[in-house]
Amino acid sequence: MDSSTVRIILLIIHFLFLIYAFTVVVSYIFLAVISAIETSEYLKRNSFVNYSEILSSTVSPSISIIAPAYNESLNIIENVRSLLSSHYVNYDVIIVNDGSKDDSLEKLIEAYDLIEINYLINNQVKTKPLRRGVFKSTNPAFEKLIVVDKQNGGKADALNCGLNISKSDYVACIDVDCLLLEDALQKMIKPFLEVTDIKVIASGGVIRIANSCIIKEGKLMDVNLPSKFIEIAQILEYLRSFLLGRMAWSRLNGLLVISGAFGVFDKKIALEVGGYNTNTVGEDMEIIVRMRRYMEEKEEKYKVAYIPDPLCWTEAPDNYKILISQRNRWTRGTIEVLKLHRKIGFNPKYKLLGMLSYPYWFFYERLAPIIEVIGILYFLILIALQNVKWDYAFAFFLMAYLFSVTFTIIAIFSEELSFHQYKKKGTGFRLILVTLLEPFLLHPFILYAAIRGNIDYYFNKKLKWGEMTRKGLSKTETNK
Amino acid sequence: MSSKKKIVLAEDNSTLSLLLKFRLEKEGYEILIAEDGKKAIELIEAHSPHLILSDIMMPYISGLEVISHVRNKLKMQIPIIVFSAAGQEEMVLKAFNLGANDFMGKPFSPNELVIRVKRLLSF
Amino acid sequence: MIDLQYYTEYFWELPILIKVVWLISGVLFVVILALIAYLKFLRSHLRENEKTLKKYQKEYEENLINYLYAGDNENEISEAQRVLINKMKICVADKFKRKILISVMSKLINDISGEMAHSIQKFYFETGLVNYALYKLKGRKWDVIASGIKELTQFEVKEAHNEIIKYVKHPNLEVRNEAQLYLVSLFQFKGLVFLDKLKTSLSEWAQIQLLEILQKFDNQEIPNIRPWLQSKNNSVVQFSLKLVKIYNQFDVRDILLELLSHENKEIRVDTIQVLNYFQDTECKHFLKTKFNTSSEEEQIEFFRLLEITADTDDEVFILENVAHTNFKIKLAALKILKAINLEIFNEVKLETTDLQVVEIVKFIEAN
Repeated sequence: MDSSTVRIILLIIHFLFLIYAFTVVVSYIFLAVISAIETSEYLKRNSFVNYSEILSSTVSPSISIIAPAYNESLNIIENVRSLLSSHYVNYDVIIVNDGSKDDSLEKLIEAYDLIEINYLINNQVKTKPLRRGVFKSTNPAFEKLIVVDKQNGGKADALNCGLNISKSDYVACIDVDCLLLEDALQKMIKPFLEVTDIKVIASGGVIRIANSCIIKEGKLMDVNLPSKFIEIAQILEYLRSFLLGRMAWSRLNGLLVISGAFGVFDKKIALEVGGYNTNTVGEDMEIIVRMRRYMEEKEEKYKVAYIPDPLCWTEAPDNYKILISQRNRWTRGTIEVLKLHRKIGFNPKYKLLGMLSYPYWFFYERLAPIIEVIGILYFLILIALQNVKWDYAFAFFLMAYLFSVTFTIIAIFSEELSFHQYKKKGTGFRLILVTLLEPFLLHPFILYAAIRGNIDYYFNKKLKWGEMTRKGLSKTETNK
Repeated sequence: MSSKKKIVLAEDNSTLSLLLKFRLEKEGYEILIAEDGKKAIELIEAHSPHLILSDIMMPYISGLEVISHVRNKLKMQIPIIVFSAAGQEEMVLKAFNLGANDFMGKPFSPNELVIRVKRLLSF
Repeated sequence: MIDLQYYTEYFWELPILIKVVWLISGVLFVVILALIAYLKFLRSHLRENEKTLKKYQKEYEENLINYLYAGDNENEISEAQRVLINKMKICVADKFKRKILISVMSKLINDISGEMAHSIQKFYFETGLVNYALYKLKGRKWDVIASGIKELTQFEVKEAHNEIIKYVKHPNLEVRNEAQLYLVSLFQFKGLVFLDKLKTSLSEWAQIQLLEILQKFDNQEIPNIRPWLQSKNNSVVQFSLKLVKIYNQFDVRDILLELLSHENKEIRVDTIQVLNYFQDTECKHFLKTKFNTSSEEEQIEFFRLLEITADTDDEVFILENVAHTNFKIKLAALKILKAINLEIFNEVKLETTDLQVVEIVKFIEAN
């Protein structure tokens, strides 16, 4: 290989990097604009709604809240109480105690006057068998509660059990330690009911970070900006992703993922596709992709909706170790799901799902960390070869940094103009400070976690399986 | 202590609470307001009121739980009137089963409520 | 100064790409500064607004309640009330204050009925708030119109009927929805007359809202639902079916039987549900003959109906379907079988090799 070929190859590599970076930027801008439009329209449309009307209606659809629980003894009573105080009439709460080794069940039995009942389960999806059985309360005030004690099978398995047990038309799958606001169910069910010629198969909600918020006995009393950098940085991440990303995907009807922490599904369709996949760590994304594929294959018009209201609050990781572990799992989940459904990629039969959503996720979510690492390595090689024009490199890095900061500030703006949850003095300043530091103090860890995720996926089979059976729902390991 | 009869009012609509308080105070009662079920129970336990007025749909602890707590845990026979926007049969039955004395569906007439309060307190 | 010259020369000698990069960086930097400044302003502005809002809210709450209790128990407005009205008239000229006052009044009027509600309505008229709402109807933007209609609905302004009825055909969904809600809230069943000519679809959400409003009124004369059941607009048919069920309209049974052959599956399923509610037996024969070609939802609904209305004539049919693939139907079939013919039920119990049947039988016998 002579030097001119090398030159050409290098030029092509530069060119590809440039194209990639350019398309990333353009797509972010495009998605941000669409998100803004969608959010503002949503807010306008819903300023009229009197949600209390649907509360008391005899015709309002039935919803089952399904909350898997594993070793949640510490907070389970409070969490269940919070779920039972929802301002919706036609719903029940199914707590699936997934083979907990602690006294969760005993605590529940005592607090809610539970007794074992004879319950015939339609096992449409195969799950691990029951352990101590199905329980209901003798106190009419807790009539909405059903507790199922089964053998451990992981979160997906527990959700499937809930699907089998539920007799409702819709299911709200939620992490048991998520705080759900009282009118969450009405707001989440509305998209299903306001369409006339298409079918909504699932709706997702924004997940808000509850760290440092004052929560008394299941009610959100006060919203505070958390104290640690790592927590605030995650808030910024979530704002960018939800308010500037997912709203747009919902409008384009290309949404591939709904948070595992809170999502509402059409139960019939969820069961028809076979329930959650117990062989993946990305079960929340996987079921959405599978449901979408199903509807595409049936050639029926459908939509996956997304609600920007802050309805669900959960604790985010407050130290780097747990954060990395969480992001590692998310990465493996994404890889697994994309691999499982690679048939739809660039497949015109799947229209937007296959031609836009899948490729986007593949190139800009799944490959992004790898491309970034290759870029870094390339840069390091150039340094080693002493072939770096430092001033040019600095110019590029500065631009990238400024762009990232701008984008995050816009995310903060969209939050201020829509829901304005962080009202206190000084939070604005802290948000900006974290924005300026995030690319240096958070992003490297996220990148590291993603790379570890890739390595673990390809080379560490033991981790994949080990995690499944021990899968708990410790507050710091919820899915995004 | 005054000989005024005490009423605990559990209602999260602040304007409505104010209105009812005004009206009932005119009739000579002492009104204690709670914005949610938890606070309502605290007030009940602290003041042993002569009557309880409670909305059903409230944050955290529902009106039904308040009734259950008063009748079953505190074992008090204080008359209870519940009101709620969810004026369905089911809610009414549950309330009565748990021990409520009267039920008013929203929207209701404050005058009517006063009549019922007087009736229950005259025994 | 030398430095400046050095940098400018340096800049102009850069390749175009890098020039562009620096330019973009420069622009972004300025944008960031501007955004940060605006953010600070926005946040303090929002904070101020909230404080003001709370202040006015409290003030207006007290004023309103004082007004309500300053009446003389006649239909005339008392001196004290007149004072308050005049005070408020000045406030409502300001949009921000107007909004707060209306929200305070709404909170109350939603939960209160009777004399007091009339009083609040009078207040709405006397302070001139009604005129602002009527003005909104002439707006260009859909959210303005819809908000105007909603307000007029809340404060029961019947005088606006002729204006609002036009909006039932408005191109925007929200506006149409609000107009329909207005008609039904104020004129109850007579307001449903828009169903006669409705070309657009009524969503489930809209139907639920309309039904909820209707259910608040007792002793209403139910209008003639028959033409609506035969409407070409499927959503109107579905809505009417709900009306049939809620208001016990037995006499439309003949149309219901016709609807069992409607081209739309949802309507067929809903019809069976209504017949179930009426415990109708006339439809059984027809549904049995159609059974094998019906959709699964219709089959499940039919079995729900049979659970209540089955008799020995249906025995053969039930027995055939004990082996149905659908769990719900199996369960229903076995329950019915046990009720109408215990002997055959026991035979099935002993002879079956289907594990599901065994499980179901165990459950039925334990309960």
